Amino acid sequence: MAGAAESTVVREDTSTYEAVAGLTVGLAAILFFLGLAATVDIVSVTGTLAGLGTLTALGLLLVVMGLAVVAFGLASYRGIFPTDPRASAGLVAATLFSGLWFLVGALVGSETLGLGFGGGLAVGLLVGAVGFAATALPREDIGSTLPAGALAVLFGLVFLLGVVGPEWSWSPASFPDSQSVTFFARTIAPFAVILSALVVGWAAAKAYGGFGARGRHLGAYLLVYLNAIAIIAVLVALVAFVVVKGFAPVTESVTVGLGVGPATTIALFGFSYEVVWPVNWPFLMNGASLFTDVTGVFPAIVGTAWLVVGAVLLAVPLGVGAAIFLTEYAEQGRFTRVVEVATNALWSTPSIVFGLFGAAFLVPRFTPQPQKSLLAGMITLGFMLLPLVVITSREAMIAVPDEYRDASAALGVSKWQTIRSVVVPAAMPGVVTGVILGVGRIAGETAPLLLTMGGGSFVGAGQRAKVLDSFQLSLSPPFVTNPELTQATTALPYQLYQVVLTGTGETAGVTDITAFGWGTALVLLAVVLLFYAVGIATRQYFRSKLTYE
Amino acid sequence: MSETEPVTNGTERPAETTAGETDERTREAWREYEFAGETKLAVEDLDVYYGDDHALKRVSMDIPEESVTALVGPSGCGKSTFLRCLNRMNDRIGTARIDGSVELDGQEVYQDGVDLVELRKQVGMVFQAPNPFPKSIRDNITYGPRQHGDIDTGLLARLTGRDDSEAADRLVERALRQAALWDEVEDRLDDNAMGLSGGQQQRLCLARCLAVDPEVILMDEPASALDPIATAKIEDLVEELAEEYTVVVVTHNMQQAARISDQTAVFLTGGELVEYDDTGKIFEDPESQRVEDYVSGKFG
Ligand SMILES: Nc1ncnc2c1ncn2[C@@H]1O[C@H](COP(=O)(O)OP(=O)(O)OP(=O)(O)O)[C@@H](O)[C@H]1O
Ligand SMILES: [Mg+2]
Repeated sequence: MAGAAESTVVREDTSTYEAVAGLTVGLAAILFFLGLAATVDIVSVTGTLAGLGTLTALGLLLVVMGLAVVAFGLASYRGIFPTDPRASAGLVAATLFSGLWFLVGALVGSETLGLGFGGGLAVGLLVGAVGFAATALPREDIGSTLPAGALAVLFGLVFLLGVVGPEWSWSPASFPDSQSVTFFARTIAPFAVILSALVVGWAAAKAYGGFGARGRHLGAYLLVYLNAIAIIAVLVALVAFVVVKGFAPVTESVTVGLGVGPATTIALFGFSYEVVWPVNWPFLMNGASLFTDVTGVFPAIVGTAWLVVGAVLLAVPLGVGAAIFLTEYAEQGRFTRVVEVATNALWSTPSIVFGLFGAAFLVPRFTPQPQKSLLAGMITLGFMLLPLVVITSREAMIAVPDEYRDASAALGVSKWQTIRSVVVPAAMPGVVTGVILGVGRIAGETAPLLLTMGGGSFVGAGQRAKVLDSFQLSLSPPFVTNPELTQATTALPYQLYQVVLTGTGETAGVTDITAFGWGTALVLLAVVLLFYAVGIATRQYFRSKLTYE
Repeated sequence: MSETEPVTNGTERPAETTAGETDERTREAWREYEFAGETKLAVEDLDVYYGDDHALKRVSMDIPEESVTALVGPSGCGKSTFLRCLNRMNDRIGTARIDGSVELDGQEVYQDGVDLVELRKQVGMVFQAPNPFPKSIRDNITYGPRQHGDIDTGLLARLTGRDDSEAADRLVERALRQAALWDEVEDRLDDNAMGLSGGQQQRLCLARCLAVDPEVILMDEPASALDPIATAKIEDLVEELAEEYTVVVVTHNMQQAARISDQTAVFLTGGELVEYDDTGKIFEDPESQRVEDYVSGKFG
């Protein structure tokens, strides 16, 4: 490696140093995920890991890795391996480390040494300052590794020596009522492990890259990467939890075969055909009834579907129209800015306020006696959706390049035609994105439905909202009526709330009310995902027309 | 007929201007010059300001019909600005203020009651930067005629048997052939135009403009991104178009201006029209020393 050693364009084969550092990075990642798993009890803090107590094993790993990281720094400092460190690890790293070390110092000072609040603060500040100096003042290789390694070794020793054992708990005396807050090892230890894993992993990644620009890049990359994976893992865990809990109740006594399902009557031109479904899926197809084995949520699914459809039909044309006016016609200035602020405020308005509005203005409006109804629910949710549609449509239209408008104008095409055939199609993917986001929110809304749509917690299949069948034509105004729209009905989130609230389901033949609740939640999730899928397919369709291939 | 009376004719104007004394004399000299053919566009004392920036200074020139007029000059001297005045595209720039008069076939363009849609149908424009729509190649070409109602290929038209698909196909082919693009895109007319190369997009925009069949065609550097062969085809097209239409071309290529144009206008930095004459005269024996220096490449 003598002659070409200076070449930085072609990197030489992996050195021992790099191999060990790489191994440490890998271990840190594993430690990170172990910590993550421990937060949700997949790895038990009180159990064992590789033959040792979990905390002992994690502590051992931390100590070893902490020492290794410090060794990398020293080896680089002594020039045993060729690295490219800068003069200092930098202000950002120093600030973060001083914060971490301040916490450590403050906790040790006030709790372990029993110096109280003031003493803890003093010790914390002192230790924090030392941490800052140790990071900022030495050369980068020492500054990045020493504070990181020391932190990991400290945490490791705390676990290894049993200072914090599996049964450890801590009730801070400084709280007014000392019993009010208690930290258990189960809660604290995983976070300590995750934190130290990130810190050592970062330092090891820097060492692996030989510090300098490449080392910084790798260090940052590791942090961003682990962060992204952790977020995805948490999201997946959330959904998986609902699926696991809800799977059994939802799939109870599903049968597949010719003629096993319920019969649907389709009436066309006076003839009526009866179609028998080849699947019987009681939880999805039944309503509440004492005469069926499995109580289902069919009416609530129908209710949610109608609510979303109604709200979208109301909000999209109005919202897109308003966005067109605001973007293309209105003079950009004070007026549009005020409208913009107002729309944003409206979108962040709590949904119960919309519910109250619906209860006050919509509920008494459609029937002789004030009555909660599907129509009132649709309109309320539509108004909730409206601001988001306006905001996203407007943003999408502003993002349409002016070159398109110029090109169209230069061809002698009027403004409205330009909007219709160039601007709106180009903005369509953005509009759909807004609707997708909004539908996710309104499909899960409970509060406004409480006040505007009502309905029971268990609803029989016969009482579902038969909107399509109920349109009635007449020769006198309003020509079309639909009594179903003015009836109360139920929806999935609303039913979930009612079921969990009342806690009993014997009258409807439900024995395990919690399982029923999880089942409803799973179905709600699936319905929302279904709407998402439709939305994303629609967006893809519009997008494919705008781009090449 | 005009409410906003344009500034009156510059011939009676006193001679003091920002330009030097000699330039003023040459200006008066070429102003006397009579071009062959009827005047299509008469520009009189045109001033354009962008905010406080005086981008075009008292420009007057008559553009004869059925000929090619080239606009040359250094970058930033106001050629595109001048072009945009002719079909009032500058109205779309919020900060732009326009003084003076432009007459199309003797009718004032800058007066109240002018139908901008109609004006721009007659005075088409190809922009300096290609700006195809994010639609298929076919839809780009037929866009203008469809919006004008000249061809209808919509669902209703197809159902009622008034379908113009064949006419549309012929139009697409003719426009693309004129713009020397047909051979390259013949079998992907339904692909999105965003997938074309920069030079192809430039020719597509030209074809899109031709499809509307304007009387005046304004081209802002139509060949800036083209190879010599495509450039030659565009030049042929320009000369061909000039038999029927009025063509105004901005170009940075002096040889091109000399090859294709009948008369040439030289703008110099500061937004002045320094000389406007027969192309042969401009390139062989210009009145102004600055023009001679510019066209022979001595300064720019
Ligand atoms: N939209 C605008 N807003 C403000 N100033 C502008 C605008 N368009 C052009 N200008 C200014 O007007 C002057 C003339 O610009 P113009 O685009 O007409 O030049 P040009 O001769 O076409 O140059 P080029 O050969 O580089 O295309 C320039 O100084 C430019 O900065
Ligand atoms: Mg230009």
